[in-house]
Amino acid sequence: MFTFIEMEFLKLKRSKIFLLSLLGAILPPFLMFIAVTSFDEGNTFEMLFTNVNMYMSAMFAVLIFAIIISYLFGREYNEHTLKTMLTIPVSRGKFLASKYMMFLMWVVILTMVTSFSTLVFGFIAGLDGFSLKLFIDSFAQLLFANVLLFLTFSPFVFLSLVVTNMVPAMVGGAGLSLVNLMVYGQNWAPFVPWVCPYLIASGEIAKYSTSIAVSYGIILAAFVIGLAISNIYFTRTDVSL
Amino acid sequence: MADYVIETKGLSKIYSKTKVVDSINMHVEKGKIYGLLGKNGAGKTTTMCMLLNLTYPSSGEIFLFGKSIDKYSKEIYPKIGSIIETPGFYENLTAYENLKIIAKLRGDYNPVNINSVLKIVNLDCEKSKKFKDFSLGMKQRLGIAAAIMHSPELLILDEPINGLDPFGIKEIRALLKRLSHEFGITILISSHILSEIENIADVIGFMDRGVLIEEMSREDLFKRLDKFVEFEVSNIDLAINILRELGLEENIDFTFNGEGTIRLYSNLDLRDKFNALFVRAGIDVRKVELCEENLEEFFTRFVSNN
Repeated sequence: MFTFIEMEFLKLKRSKIFLLSLLGAILPPFLMFIAVTSFDEGNTFEMLFTNVNMYMSAMFAVLIFAIIISYLFGREYNEHTLKTMLTIPVSRGKFLASKYMMFLMWVVILTMVTSFSTLVFGFIAGLDGFSLKLFIDSFAQLLFANVLLFLTFSPFVFLSLVVTNMVPAMVGGAGLSLVNLMVYGQNWAPFVPWVCPYLIASGEIAKYSTSIAVSYGIILAAFVIGLAISNIYFTRTDVSL
Repeated sequence: MADYVIETKGLSKIYSKTKVVDSINMHVEKGKIYGLLGKNGAGKTTTMCMLLNLTYPSSGEIFLFGKSIDKYSKEIYPKIGSIIETPGFYENLTAYENLKIIAKLRGDYNPVNINSVLKIVNLDCEKSKKFKDFSLGMKQRLGIAAAIMHSPELLILDEPINGLDPFGIKEIRALLKRLSHEFGITILISSHILSEIENIADVIGFMDRGVLIEEMSREDLFKRLDKFVEFEVSNIDLAINILRELGLEENIDFTFNGEGTIRLYSNLDLRDKFNALFVRAGIDVRKVELCEENLEEFFTRFVSNN
């Protein structure tokens, strides 16, 4: 599996999508940096981290993750490399698993980029209240939210296997981000798989009457269902040339 | 019993009620170059995809190296190199990086090996160029490099010379012949370019509309090519009369056209006698040539008859 992951990283060499995703991960800290330097006074590092985490995991990450998944899986069809890979031969199950692992690593990289760029922007803005503990807690919170969000994107893997074009993924991701914004704060937000990761990670779930176990269950169900249908589809259908 | 590297039994593929491959029984002997010949849409690529496990058969069995692919796929497929249609590589990566991915995943990464295989296909000077900047011919050659990099025992090549210029075709043809004759690699190659198959294959399988009509050796094929003698004469009516008087029948033993050409299909050994009779009758004979039907003419006739 290590070789598979190593090769997935090599496939990203000179990849514009990888660079764009990094820019996407910097965007929430950058926007919040503009906000704190332009409009408000008396902002602290804590507020900056909290806002960045919320906008990243509940909004921007949804769009970025949809694009990443579509690229990771769809490119093998669009660049006709799937037939090359599978005739090496590579087991279809392993191939799918390596893609999931690569996606997870990509998520971790983006989380690190977001957190560190928030830190840098915070210092540039001259905010008060920085502590290492605050940074580590904020990073852990964003990482936890993004990993949970990663799990909820499993059904998107299936969609990207069926519709290999990136445009529907972009439109779907943008649509889902808007849905998240609309749902956030509603009573039934803990039932929406793509909102509850942030609610759980930030602790906001406690404000809702729904048990946290239900939200975990929904995330897990989304992951398992997505994994199962992706695996069935990928291992049992003919490879399109 | 022949040692078959590829053997299929009643192999079929149905796409939404259309049988694109219909119960084919293919036999490819070890060390031979087997040319799969057919028009576009004959089912060649689908057949090859089924052999490579990219497409699942609707029915039938596939045996590679004498073993069922259902049970021994892990053992079988590392011994195969392939190209199906246009080779697929990562566009943002160089030729070398693309081959590195394949070699690493295969578990036999060796930089020397990659460099030498790039040299074989004349891409050693282009190894740092990104795949997206490659011409079609270069992409095809990189596909061949990927297919032969691990010294496979069987090569399955679907239209491998597509996009190659005449020099490239010649080089690849020579390479495939060398791989087969010197290293004993079995090659299954498909093409709709008849002359290519004629040049390279030891055995030819004729496919049309999903059916493998017949498999025949190159020797058998040449025996079955129609032969004829072509006379170009100054007085065609007189020449035809002479042939009729000798008991030859029009459209059976000979045909003619208005440009003074007669094609004789029987009694070919007597062509010198016919020539002498024509000359004696005052006919100028401008050409006497023993001709052979080419593969294209044979294929058209063969497919029509079947």
